[in-house]
Amino acid sequence: MAYVATRGGERAIEQAERLYRQEMGQITADRVAGLRHALPLLVDRVMGEASLYDPDLAALALAQSGGDLYEAVLLLRAWRTTQPRIAIAAPVRLEELFTHRRISAAFKDIPGGQILGPTLDYAHRLLATEVLEGTPFTPPPVDPAAHPAPAHQPSLAAWQKAEGLVADRPSAPIAPDDIPDVTREPLLFPAARAHTLQSLARADTGGVLALGYAAMRGYGNAHPTVNELRLAEAEVMVRHPSGASFSAGRVKVSQAEVTSKGKSGLLELGFCATFGWNEVKVIAGATLDLNAPGAEKGSAVEEEFVLYHTEPVEASGFCIHFKLPHYVTFQSSLDALRGAKAAQPATEEVPA
Amino acid sequence: MTLATLTRPWAAMSYGFLDASAKREMRRKIIKAIAVPGCQMPYASREVPIARGWGTGGLQVTLTLIKPASVVKVIDQGADDSVNAASIRRFLSRVSGAAETWDTLEATILQSRHRIPEERLRDDQVLVLQVPNPEPLRPVQPNMSIARQMHADADYGRLWLVLYEQMVRSGRIVQGAAYPSLVNGRHVMTPSPIPRWDVPKLHMAHHLTLLSAGREKRLYAVPPFTRVEPLVFSDVPYQVEDHAGLTCHRSGLSGVFMNEIPQDSGGSVFEASDSNLGIKAIRQAEGEATKIGPMWYENGELRP
Repeated sequence: MAYVATRGGERAIEQAERLYRQEMGQITADRVAGLRHALPLLVDRVMGEASLYDPDLAALALAQSGGDLYEAVLLLRAWRTTQPRIAIAAPVRLEELFTHRRISAAFKDIPGGQILGPTLDYAHRLLATEVLEGTPFTPPPVDPAAHPAPAHQPSLAAWQKAEGLVADRPSAPIAPDDIPDVTREPLLFPAARAHTLQSLARADTGGVLALGYAAMRGYGNAHPTVNELRLAEAEVMVRHPSGASFSAGRVKVSQAEVTSKGKSGLLELGFCATFGWNEVKVIAGATLDLNAPGAEKGSAVEEEFVLYHTEPVEASGFCIHFKLPHYVTFQSSLDALRGAKAAQPATEEVPA
Repeated sequence: MTLATLTRPWAAMSYGFLDASAKREMRRKIIKAIAVPGCQMPYASREVPIARGWGTGGLQVTLTLIKPASVVKVIDQGADDSVNAASIRRFLSRVSGAAETWDTLEATILQSRHRIPEERLRDDQVLVLQVPNPEPLRPVQPNMSIARQMHADADYGRLWLVLYEQMVRSGRIVQGAAYPSLVNGRHVMTPSPIPRWDVPKLHMAHHLTLLSAGREKRLYAVPPFTRVEPLVFSDVPYQVEDHAGLTCHRSGLSGVFMNEIPQDSGGSVFEASDSNLGIKAIRQAEGEATKIGPMWYENGELRP
């Protein structure tokens, strides 16, 4: 009876929320700072899906939601809605990124070199159970290389374009204010290229992985080769009203470019970039981008199917909305069902 | 020039939560929707502090319309005290300073999920319906861009086919709530999952109805005095739920849409789905001075 109470709904929701928050206890600035430092990749993932770069707010959202990622992303998106758009930053160019990690699976070595950077790829996945027995786990210090890798790296696709292996995407100059913005306009299909890339950048990591994996297993048309994967920091260059261009800070970004041989006889590229370091998401996202052109309507790799169904806030919200009462619609169906049942016997004559 | 001269003092949020650019877009899309009744207008649909699928579309419309002098009523399944309705109503008054009410007659804006109140709405009232799925063609065409083309072509043959198949299979049309309806003789809309009982209330109504799906980013409108005709065959009349003869076991009301409450002993009792109408009826019976407005249905029959 408390579900849709005859009275007292307001008290019920108040107490239900208290019950939930009680479990998490007091949230302090120390807890938020601790989360930010202990869980940088989770903070990155949440910032990417929220399309809001602020590690402190992301850590706060994680603390407030107790680690429910969809709740954390919703908190940040709702906050983002209230923020004014002060300026539009200059485009981030691949060769200007401060690159921490850059690998290509397409060639043994590439111009600029393969840079392994920080990764767990080759780690043995063993739990450090000694920590639970009181021995802290102290990561061994890094021995820096004798010659540090250069901070900036050329784009592999630029080399491929020069070799005539890749067709350049047609592009036209566009004023910063005219760049389509999926947070200010509805997503319609066929989607603007900017909308596609923005939607992938904001997409749910798990959702993109599920559909991207389906494409990789054979539900798509193209098998990806990782042309270039980067973890980097990008300078956010904005223009002061006085006209001077300056850096407002750096943001961590990841981007993946995957390739396969296209029908045109050239290599085709799929691309995905996001805030924060999140390799799985950008590889899966780039694979979906690679598979989308020409995909059949309604197939698991078609643009509309992919972009609508990997939107984390929409997908999770609709899923949990089924908890809301639906007794009016149910009553309406029940009425039709009983009416049909009552009409049945007259027509139910079994031939002899 | 300093930055301070270019900006206003910092505030945690704009009046009514949505910022000016979001409200401007909403107003433009609302006007377009009114201009082309029943036609779905895509809009950006900002994230708001409740989950998608929980009334974010209705909320954005209400936040755009609301002002300090507004009086808001929010219902879910007909009930004002349903938990989600209570949560939305509290949010609305918190960010706008508007007054709250449970009484249909007092409200200037009524936001509702799945019901239209039983008392007639006036021309000074706006009904905002929360819409989970704005696309009546979804059951026959899940792809939104193809469906959009079908609306442009007024290509609704497959909806008639669905209704015909229901008759062939079940002996009658078994569409429950969200009955597809032709608006102004041109666009088929889903009236949101209101029961069939409520659809005729939209036809040539005095009030404006705005229907908004936040997750799906579409809004559409039924302006006052607009035809809303459920899809039916000329020889098969439209059937509302068979509730005209039921009586509310708490308020004694009859001739309104009912909730069925299964009983431990078997069978069911019924109660009025419009919960505040039920409360008003009880108060009236107890001798309190309570006003019940004119109703859409009288003695279970729709009043012309």
